[in-house]
Amino acid sequence: MIDSLCDESVEEDIAVAAFYCDFRDQQEQTTANIIGAILKQLVAREEVLGHMQTAFRKAKRELGGRGPRLPDMVRMLKQAIASLPQVFICIDALDECLPKNLPELLESLKDILQESLRTRIFVTGRPHVEAEVVRYFTTGVMVPISPSRHEIKRYLERKLDMDTMWDAMSDALRADILKIIPERISEMCV
Amino acid sequence: MEHAEYTNSVNSGNVDCNNVKNSYNNIVNLNQIIADENPEIMQWLSPLDPRRRHQDVRTDRFDSVGSWFLERNEFREWRSGGGGAEKAVLFGYGNPGVGKTFLR
Repeated sequence: MIDSLCDESVEEDIAVAAFYCDFRDQQEQTTANIIGAILKQLVAREEVLGHMQTAFRKAKRELGGRGPRLPDMVRMLKQAIASLPQVFICIDALDECLPKNLPELLESLKDILQESLRTRIFVTGRPHVEAEVVRYFTTGVMVPISPSRHEIKRYLERKLDMDTMWDAMSDALRADILKIIPERISEMCV
Repeated sequence: MEHAEYTNSVNSGNVDCNNVKNSYNNIVNLNQIIADENPEIMQWLSPLDPRRRHQDVRTDRFDSVGSWFLERNEFREWRSGGGGAEKAVLFGYGNPGVGKTFLR
């Protein structure tokens, strides 16, 4: 998804920012850090960098030099987005972000969208976070993700071709694997 | 046609692009230059580095997996902005292992 958008960004004037939530990294993935990580990818104008340098110097002067706070992050992200023709934000695995952080993250995204009508946000997650997403984005579009039978078959073919124990394989076994597994998986995913 | 888009894009930028790869000043390249030149600020904005994770995903991804998604009407409408601000958010949901992360 991100690569496809990036390919297009070479010809069109669009910006793409991506973030992957990861349960192994929950402690560090605070809302401010997530918004900051998205912001980092969208600084492409000198004047926006200027705003950040000012905020950075100000924060450094304060005792101990503090990290940016969420409201500052959201404000700077809005400035960055406003400086660009169109922005796409992709966030993967919302269910892996700390449950207590999720409402804050969705609220920040909502806040950002309200000021920038051209911005598009794509998020993924397990079905159980859908209710939370709908709470903040009542008109959001929900799409179920499941691999097609054809895709599973191609994946298996590739794995079988790369098999290091290839001498244990026979044409009949190979044919069975390619027939049965895609059928079963498709049933599971429906 | 390609030439026209190229000229258009260059004219819309206002930053000197001599040192940009392919002498192309698209947003991604400009962002890369600014990030490289200001590591302290980037670190301050967030210690997280999603680009590294993206490289891992790209390496692990099986070629063309998830390309069906790009053909879906929901995606196309979202991408083109046809649905307006109402449809600004697209949520792809699925159980573990269905390939959400690897949509191309």
